[in-house]
Amino acid sequence: MRVIARSFLAFLRAAIGVMVQYRGEIFLWAVWGLINPTVLYLMWSAAAESNVDQTLAGFDRGQFAAYYLCIMIIGHFTTAWDAYELGYFIRSGALSPKLLRPILPIWDSLAQNLAYKIVTLAFVAPAWAVFFFFVRPAFEAVPWQVLLGIVAVMMAGALNYLLGYVVALVAFWSPKLDAVGETYFGIAMIFGGRFAPLATMPPILYDIAWVLPFRWMFAFPAELLMGRIASLEAALSGIGIQFAWLAAAIILFRIGWSAAVKRYTAVSG
Amino acid sequence: MSLRPLKLIWLYFKVNIQNLAAYRFDMYMRIVVSIMHLISELMVVWIIFTGTQNVRGWQWQHMLVLVGVYRMVAGGIRIAIVPNMRKLLEDIREGSLDFALMRPVNTQFLISIREIVVYRVVDMILGLCVAAFGCYKLTGQLPLDEAILFAVLLAAGFVIVYGVWLILGTLCFWFIRVQNIEMVFWNVFEAGRFPIVIYPPGVRWTLTYLIPLAFITTVPAAALIGQESMLTPNAPIWAILMAVAMFIVSNRFWRFGLRHYSGASA
Repeated sequence: MRVIARSFLAFLRAAIGVMVQYRGEIFLWAVWGLINPTVLYLMWSAAAESNVDQTLAGFDRGQFAAYYLCIMIIGHFTTAWDAYELGYFIRSGALSPKLLRPILPIWDSLAQNLAYKIVTLAFVAPAWAVFFFFVRPAFEAVPWQVLLGIVAVMMAGALNYLLGYVVALVAFWSPKLDAVGETYFGIAMIFGGRFAPLATMPPILYDIAWVLPFRWMFAFPAELLMGRIASLEAALSGIGIQFAWLAAAIILFRIGWSAAVKRYTAVSG
Repeated sequence: MSLRPLKLIWLYFKVNIQNLAAYRFDMYMRIVVSIMHLISELMVVWIIFTGTQNVRGWQWQHMLVLVGVYRMVAGGIRIAIVPNMRKLLEDIREGSLDFALMRPVNTQFLISIREIVVYRVVDMILGLCVAAFGCYKLTGQLPLDEAILFAVLLAAGFVIVYGVWLILGTLCFWFIRVQNIEMVFWNVFEAGRFPIVIYPPGVRWTLTYLIPLAFITTVPAAALIGQESMLTPNAPIWAILMAVAMFIVSNRFWRFGLRHYSGASA
């Protein structure tokens, strides 16, 4: 355990160094996370204002703003790209040296992930502040909701990271399958409530969203942070469900990884 | 006027088809992804119009037309514009652009036709079907009268995108590390999936005249719908003027950039 902690910190320091050096390029990655929720906010507030009572599915303009600001922030903390990258590592042979280390490659990748989130915070946090002051979102959260919301965001980050990594393992069977990653991402966008708050969805889609893990990564923490989840029980049980999904993801990763490594035959060098 | 340019296009076209045949599975997967993109865009329309009848005057049928046009443009850009510019950026960085410069053909022409990703035509066909379906639901007939104006505006949109890309590509002569410029492009382009009227006036003006995104998706879609009220005044004229201007400006800028190019590595 101590070995893992020490190597992880070393990975993290190295990754932060690299990210700071390539900050310009990293920054461009983060821009999408700002533009996409802003466009969707403008779309939904225009839709709400077209209705007679100026609301849509219980959201008015200010609440859509609050929701999408939360989605923007959660989107940052849940970013994960292993589903796109692992296939490339396998194809190019870059995975082989990583496998030789006495620590699983997922720790290295996790360090990269955290480093990205820490370094780009310097760009995105000011953008969040600008959004907050110019768009004037209507936050109704009380302190306990914010506190539990922060826990929920961290859980969401862990959950999305791990599930994304499990999906990435498909690359061991078919290393040039970017389509899998893109599909996973698209499904998460819709059923996680990033394209549209769950309350706006037609019943069938809403029901599908309930049985998938994605709403617990995006919609749930967002609703908690903006103060839409009124009862403490609902908030706590939501976090409980996040834990359950996380446990399931860990089990899936263990099974998937051991099967995947057995299949691995190095490509090139 | 000789036939040589056409022959060259045909030649590159054949080479690209052969390359495709070598990576068939990848092609099928990409087509599947395209279809899923379209499904997700249709789902978004479905969700929006569960809660409202219209968004600033756009009803669901109008929005379907826009989704179709957006998919057509997104696919069309990926047939030739983006692949060629990607290759150009790579060539500038690696120094292999010199090989293209030495050929006895107009360089701008050559660097614009080298890569043709044929299967992206699927996007254009799917998009066209969705757009036509939207029009059909609106008026009960296919928009044959509007088709010519639509085709002209779509072409103008492609010329504008081509110009933007050529300028971005030319910038690469000075700033070698701009591979990520593609991401910036798609980031901005994504704002075109919704009608331009949803944006606040300042953003709308910017997206119409500074970054002419409105002329790439909303204007052709509005022309296909055929309702005067949806088009910004004189939009077709503006679109064509903008396309001509972009073509000339990007061509000048490219030639200016080329004069400053001294080759990399080698």
